[in-house]
Amino acid sequence: MSSASAKMRAFLIRMVRSVCGWRGADEFDEELEAHVAMHTEAGVAAGLDEGEARRIALVKLGGAEQVRQARRERAGLVWLENLQQDLRYGARTLRRSPGFALTAVATVGLGIGACTAIFSLVNAVLIRSLPYGDPERLVYLFTPNPNLKIPEEVLCPGYGDYFDIRRENRSFESMSNLVQTRFSVDEQGIVQRIGSARVDEDFFHTLQAQPELGRPIAADDVQAGHERVAVISHALWVSMFGGRADVLQKSLTLDHALYRIVGVMPAEFEYPFGSDLPYGDSQIKSTQIWVPLLLTAAQRAEREPDNNVTIARLRAGVTVRAAQAEMAGIMARLDKQYPDDPNNEVASMRPYWGALVKTFTDMSVGPVRPLMRLLVAAVVLVLLIACGNAANLLLARAAERARELGVRTALGAGRGRMVRQLLTESLLIGAVGCAVGIALAYLFLRLLPRLDPGNIPRLNEASLDGRVLLVAVGAALFTSLFAGLLPAWRASRLELTEFLKAHGARAGSSGHSPVQSGLIVAQTAMVVLLLAAAGLLIRSYVKVVNVDTGFSESTVTFNVGLDERYSKPEQQVAFFQQLTARLNSLPGVLAAGAVNYLPLSNSESITLMYVDGYPNNKDFQQAEARYVTPKYFDAMGIPLLAGRYLSEDDYRRKSGVAVINKRFADLYFPDRNPIGAHISTDREADGWKDFNTVVGVVGNVRHMSLEEEAQPQMYYGNYQMNGAYVAVRATLPPAAIANEIRAMLKAIDPQLAMTDIRTMGDWISLASARRRFQTSLLTAFAGIALVLALVGLYGLMAFSVNRRTREVGIRMALGAERRDVLLLVMRNAGVLVGVGLVAGLACVWVVTRVMRSFLFGVSEHDPMTVVAVSALMIVCGLMAALVPARRAASIEPMQALRTD
Amino acid sequence: MGDKTDVWQGTLALMILKTLETMGPQHGYGLARRIEQTSGDLLQLNYGTLYPALLKLEQEGYVRSQWGVSDNNRKAKFYELTKAGQKQVRRATADWEQTTEILSRFLTPAEEA
Repeated sequence: MSSASAKMRAFLIRMVRSVCGWRGADEFDEELEAHVAMHTEAGVAAGLDEGEARRIALVKLGGAEQVRQARRERAGLVWLENLQQDLRYGARTLRRSPGFALTAVATVGLGIGACTAIFSLVNAVLIRSLPYGDPERLVYLFTPNPNLKIPEEVLCPGYGDYFDIRRENRSFESMSNLVQTRFSVDEQGIVQRIGSARVDEDFFHTLQAQPELGRPIAADDVQAGHERVAVISHALWVSMFGGRADVLQKSLTLDHALYRIVGVMPAEFEYPFGSDLPYGDSQIKSTQIWVPLLLTAAQRAEREPDNNVTIARLRAGVTVRAAQAEMAGIMARLDKQYPDDPNNEVASMRPYWGALVKTFTDMSVGPVRPLMRLLVAAVVLVLLIACGNAANLLLARAAERARELGVRTALGAGRGRMVRQLLTESLLIGAVGCAVGIALAYLFLRLLPRLDPGNIPRLNEASLDGRVLLVAVGAALFTSLFAGLLPAWRASRLELTEFLKAHGARAGSSGHSPVQSGLIVAQTAMVVLLLAAAGLLIRSYVKVVNVDTGFSESTVTFNVGLDERYSKPEQQVAFFQQLTARLNSLPGVLAAGAVNYLPLSNSESITLMYVDGYPNNKDFQQAEARYVTPKYFDAMGIPLLAGRYLSEDDYRRKSGVAVINKRFADLYFPDRNPIGAHISTDREADGWKDFNTVVGVVGNVRHMSLEEEAQPQMYYGNYQMNGAYVAVRATLPPAAIANEIRAMLKAIDPQLAMTDIRTMGDWISLASARRRFQTSLLTAFAGIALVLALVGLYGLMAFSVNRRTREVGIRMALGAERRDVLLLVMRNAGVLVGVGLVAGLACVWVVTRVMRSFLFGVSEHDPMTVVAVSALMIVCGLMAALVPARRAASIEPMQALRTD
Repeated sequence: MGDKTDVWQGTLALMILKTLETMGPQHGYGLARRIEQTSGDLLQLNYGTLYPALLKLEQEGYVRSQWGVSDNNRKAKFYELTKAGQKQVRRATADWEQTTEILSRFLTPAEEA
């Protein structure tokens, strides 16, 4: 045994002995007795008389009591025993005043709970590293075009440009393309659409992700004739193949084609997640299947951006900025080298394809970073309020215990020991509060899946890991020290003589100290700030959900995707004609129609267009365009404002007609009738052709988000779609109609899946989920803060009434009415709340500016919110003060004067 | 004396271990007497200081104790070396010899010069 481990062993033994309280004292007494007896015997044998021999033995021993003491100190750990003693004493005093202890623990627990819960979220979303090798070096490559009024992060380089960038760059270690897709998979008789991705041979290598079984997609796989292989996710492996090892000998039918399974990814790898790609396929929550991305020679030469997503890994030491500069240079050269193809609508933007390199984490986490900051700010305020409360409680208690402390000082208790005692008490409260807080955070995490707005990355991975627990303990320690040091310091300054003269320090006229008042004012100000923030979010939320979307919320929608068996246009037309016709003849169905881009489903098609007869036609004039079947408007409840809807006749005759929305009409036909006007979306060389005649104007529909005004929209009649959303307005309840539709679809084609069955109300709910999430969280925190502050105010008022019993008695004896006494206390509370309110509103004025991006339809200085918050604060504050005030008013003067 | 305590405690531990090694199992009183005798009565030993030192060695696993009967039929607690204790004697002895050897070079420089 090395001497270090021997020391460790000794330390552990001493610790265990201290904790268990067993030190073998009796046994040692016996040993000592034997020692003295033997020594005495030896003395007697040497001729001394017994008394003298025993005296010498004891002297030689160095005193029995001293030896016992020395041995006791060695047996255990003295500091640990002192601590235990303090803790026992603290626990006993806390048990003796359960009201105080419960309030303090609940206060601290709520503060720490809120902090821990939110930190577990932030930890999962922002801090914990991604399951890809060295995610800091992963970037996305985009080619923004200033002429397209779409976000910069929608289009990635066309394949032709991609291969040029890949060949010429020196910034990237590797690059890869993926294309999101969905496959119909038959899982135990139920056809499901499963999120998938077509990926090139560099995909897994770029992400530095290895299969847990088998191999990744390799270069041989992306050759024609070899592409029927698939890598599947861990989850799919378990659900479809029972996690068996022979999966690599199995195949999987995807959209009726057989794919050989070559690999299984580890559980955490399901890239891309829905939240990874802000403009990705909104129906894909996570990716379960990866198949080779096969490109034809023509595709490889294509300069027009496709629906690919380009990811790359930066070489070590290359910054995002340098990579972007290099890519911009390459793009500028390509822009020159491949000039405008006049026949191609999108390529006509050629001179403007730019370069944008964005980090992986910025893309997935960037959009939620402000929300995380807001939540952290909110919980820090809650924690501070909890700290203030705990400090005030301890201060009040210290004042009440001034007598006890004074007596103990008088009896010779050292200041250090007193401070330690008081701090131990607050640490005890902190420790129990910490446990309560962690329990609350655990409950919050259990609740979280129900709050999940679905677009916060890795929200469902939030858990109480070591880092989160460390934060909880840190918060508890901070609270304990903050709350405990102030009273401890004041108690330690207690002047003995003063105490003896006055039976404990009597505070100023209000019955409590300025420190206590200051804490209440600060708390009130923070609560006002939180309430205002929550109020603004609530007002925004109400405005968002009540926004006029332009469609009916009760309409039931579902998605149906056609597979390879429907590759011919006439097959697609026939399918959707049959589907809509049969739907429209279902009993209880009022109208049914299909559309290729459903509002709020996070998909969009933008077209360039030219309005005949409009004097200000510009080069890059855009409108949202979609295909609909005749009864779509009726099914969605989109009102007709002028002209007529599309008719079956229009489809049959292919008459080239279109319906536009009100915004389109307002913008391009400000002073003439749009009906009969001509619009082209087909640009050829220098002219526009294939003009469509406007036959109707319909209401605006919010499409991309609830919070954005409708853009100019055009609708063409068309049955030819390889997949579509179908909208159904019915008199039956949604569940019943969904069942009928499912049965009907099965009758038409049992191999097609009906997915995404939702009412438009559900789509609204999904679109406002993030807002609901942030609003409910912030409101909950504001509520907690309000309750905490009121508890604090109530506690302080009760405390000062208690201390002023005698004074109130004298006032009443001198003729003060009960009403006067009541008002006295209420005025006192009113001043505190008033000052806090004013301070809080001043903060609101300055601070809510940072909230601007969270607001919708309200100004950050929204007067209604300010008024509501002020009223709420004053009413609640006065209510909290009313109970102690009434107690003061009910004091019996005679009794009060007799109390000491 | 204050800053010499450590050395003293260290040496006391070694004296105890060495004595146990040569004498075999021994009770506290016997150990104290023996150490005093071995030192040629040069050492003023407070017998009581032995007990915390013995407890420390026991906690460190170098000695173990059990009740037994002394020569004159008295019940007493006997201490004996453990395996780890035997190793520790050798190690501490070597350390101590090295220390004294180094020190002696400092204390008797005149002859060397």
